[in-house]
Amino acid sequence: MTSLSGALAAATITPPHIEYGQLSPLLVVFGAAVAGVLVEAFVPRERRRAFHLVIALGGLVAAFALIISVAATPSLFAHGSPGHVVAMGAVGVDGPTLFIQGTIVVLAFVSVLLIAESSHGVSPFAAQAAAVPGSAEEREGLLRGISHTEVYPLTLFAVGGMMLFPAANDLLTMFVALEVLSLPLYLLCGLARRRRLISQEAAMKYFLLGAFSSAFFLFGVAMLYGYSGSVSLSAIAAAAATNVSSATLLYAGIALVGIGLLFKIGAVPFQSWKPDVYQGAPTAVTALMASCTVVSAFGGLLRVFYVAFGQLTWDWRPAMWGVAILTMLAGAIIAITQTDVKRMLAYSSIAHGGFVLTAVVAATAAGLSASLFYLAVYGLTTIGAFAVVTLVRDPAGEANHLSKWAGLGKRSPWLAGVFAFFLLAFAGIPLTSGFAGKFAVFQAAAAGGALPLVIIGVLASAVAAFFYVRVIVLMFFSDPAPDGPTVVTPGLFTGAAVAVGAAATLVFGIAPEPLLALASHAAAHLFVR
Amino acid sequence: MLTLYVPILMLAALAALFAGFSLVMGALAGPKRWNRAKLQAYESGIEPTPQPSGGGRFPVKYYLTAMLFILFDIEIIFLYPWAVTFRSLGVFGLVEMVLFIVTVLVAYAYVWRRGGLEWD
Amino acid sequence: MIPGDYVALAVILFVIGAVGVLIRRNAMVIFMCIELMLNAVNLAFVAFARLHGTIDGQVIAFFVMVVAAAEVVVGLAILMAIFRSRRSASVDDANLLKY
Repeated sequence: MTSLSGALAAATITPPHIEYGQLSPLLVVFGAAVAGVLVEAFVPRERRRAFHLVIALGGLVAAFALIISVAATPSLFAHGSPGHVVAMGAVGVDGPTLFIQGTIVVLAFVSVLLIAESSHGVSPFAAQAAAVPGSAEEREGLLRGISHTEVYPLTLFAVGGMMLFPAANDLLTMFVALEVLSLPLYLLCGLARRRRLISQEAAMKYFLLGAFSSAFFLFGVAMLYGYSGSVSLSAIAAAAATNVSSATLLYAGIALVGIGLLFKIGAVPFQSWKPDVYQGAPTAVTALMASCTVVSAFGGLLRVFYVAFGQLTWDWRPAMWGVAILTMLAGAIIAITQTDVKRMLAYSSIAHGGFVLTAVVAATAAGLSASLFYLAVYGLTTIGAFAVVTLVRDPAGEANHLSKWAGLGKRSPWLAGVFAFFLLAFAGIPLTSGFAGKFAVFQAAAAGGALPLVIIGVLASAVAAFFYVRVIVLMFFSDPAPDGPTVVTPGLFTGAAVAVGAAATLVFGIAPEPLLALASHAAAHLFVR
Repeated sequence: MLTLYVPILMLAALAALFAGFSLVMGALAGPKRWNRAKLQAYESGIEPTPQPSGGGRFPVKYYLTAMLFILFDIEIIFLYPWAVTFRSLGVFGLVEMVLFIVTVLVAYAYVWRRGGLEWD
Repeated sequence: MIPGDYVALAVILFVIGAVGVLIRRNAMVIFMCIELMLNAVNLAFVAFARLHGTIDGQVIAFFVMVVAAAEVVVGLAILMAIFRSRRSASVDDANLLKY
C-alpha cells in the first residue's frame, strides 16, 4: 500500500501541454466525423447526403492542407531533428508519419467518392441494417430508395483512427486508435445493400477475429508494460537496451504485439479473415480497407518495430523473415485458385503485404522509404481496381464471379483495358507504378542483407503475374457468356476514382522519382523517439 | 497479513446482522395485509414486464436499451479521475472535460433524434 | 499479495479465454471469451502497476474497460443482426463465404 499511496502523493498533477497546431489534421477529421453525427441527428433524410459529402470531402481536403502545412513548418525539423513528440508523448509528428497520414487522407478521399456513388438509382449501402434480410420491412426501405447515410461519419471515424494509429507514440494511444479504426469498419462491412447475409457474415467474422487479435495486442502491451514500467515506445526501447533481467516478458510482449499488428496487415498466418471480409463487404468499403487500413497498419507496424524494438532487430528479424516468406508465397499461390474477383484481389493484397514486409525486415531508412512509396502507389491502384469491380453488374448486384468476366474485353474494351492495366501494375510490369514499388522494396531488402527474401519475392511475383495475366486472357480472349454482366456507365464519382487510380498508376510508373524523393526525404531521419 | 481483512470481515458481519435483524423484525412486528400488488415481482416500482411464456426470448428492444446504457454509463469512468484532480488541472481540465461531455452529448442527440430512446 | 501471482492468474485467464475462442461454436460464447481475455489483460495491468509502483497501469485499465464496452456494443449489434436473419448464432452455420 505504501508504494502506491506514495506514488499518488508524489505525483504533482499539472495540466498537460497539447500542441493543437501539430495535431490539427487529426482534430479536423474527428471534428468532421462528430459533425456528421450531428447531421444524422438533425438534418432531414433527403438532405443528409449532400451535407455529408460537403463535410466528409471538405474535412479530408482541410486535413490534407493541414498535413502539408505541418510538414512545411521549418521549426519542426530544425537541426536535422526527425520531428516532435506532442501531447505529452502520446503522438509523434515526424516525416514518415506525415507521409503516411497524407497518403491515408488522399486514399480516403478517393474511397469516399466511391462510397458516395449513387448515380444508378441507389447507393451500395443497406436501407436499414436492422431489418431482417428478405423481410417486408427491408423491401419497403429498398422501394423508398433510402440508404444508411451513417456510412460517412463511420468512414471519417475510421479514417481518423487510421491517421492516429501510425502516429501513436505510446502503446495505449495505439490501442485506442486501433479500436477507433476497427469498430466503424466492422459495422461498415455489414451494410451492403445486396447479398445482405454474406455481408453480415463478413461483419461477424471480421469482428470476432479482429477483437481476438486486439486482445492479443493488448496482452502484449501489458507484458511490455510489465517489462519496462511504461507503455511509451521510447521507454520500452530504453529498457530493452539496459534491462536484461526479465527477457521473457519482453519477448512475449514483442510476439503478442506483433501478432496484433500482423493481423491488421493480413500477413500469413493471420490472414484468414481477409478474403472473407473483402468479398462480403460492400465493394466501396473493401476499397477503403484494402488501401487506407493497410497503409495505416503498416505505419503502426513500422513505428513499433523501428522505435520500440529497434535495438532488438536480431531477435525479431528471423520471425519476420518467416512471416514475409509465408505471406508472399501463400498469397500468390492461393490466389491462383480463386474464382471470385474480390477474393482474388484479397489474396493479391495479402501477397503485396508480404512484398512490403521484405522492406520492413531491412530496418533501415531505405527500407522505410521504400515501404512508404510502395504503400502509396499500391493503395491508389487498389482503389482503382475495386472501383472497376463496382461497375460490372448483373441483376443480382455486382457480378463478381470470374466466369462472368469472360469476354468483357470484347464488350467493353475500355473498362477491361483499365482493369488489365491495374492487374499489370499489381503484377509489377515496367512502366506501371507497381514495378517502381516492387523495385524499391526489393532493392531496400537486398541492401539490408535479405537477398534470399528478394529471390523468393521475385518468384512469388512471377506466380502472381500468372494469375493476373490469366484474368486478362479471360477478359480479352474468351467468348462472352450469353448471360454475361452489364457494364454500367460510371457515374461522376466512380469515374473519378477509376481515373485517379489509373492516372496515378501510370504517372508513378513512368516518373516515380518525385514521389520516391519525397518518401526518402520523409524517411531520412526515421521515426521520432 | 490477514489482519488487514479484519475490518472488512467486521463490516460484513455487521451488514449480515443488520439484514437479518430487519427481516426478522419486519416479519414479527409488521402488520400483515396481503394484496396482489405485493405478491408481484418488484421491478423498481414500474409495472412488471410480462415474461415470455415457456422461458422464451426477450424482445430485441431490451438489447438496444442495455447497449445504450453500457455506452453512456461507462463514460463516467473518465469523470472520476478528473473529479479528484480538477483543482490542479484548472481551466484546461474544465475545458477538456466539457469537450468530452459535449462529444458524448452529440452521440446522445443522435440516439434521441433517431428514436433509440422510444420504447414502443 | 505477491503481484507475480496476479500476473500468473492473468496469464491463466487469458489462455482460458483464447482456448475458448478457438473451441466454442456459439458466437456469443466466443465473444464472452474475448471479454475474458480483455479482463485478464486488465488484471495484468493492475498487477504490473503495483509491481512498478506507478499508476499508469490502473489508468490503462480504465481505457481498456471503455474500449471493451464500445466493442461490446458494436459486437452485440452485429451478432443480433445475424441472429435475427439466420435464427442461429453458431459460427459453423455462417459458411457462405469460403474458397
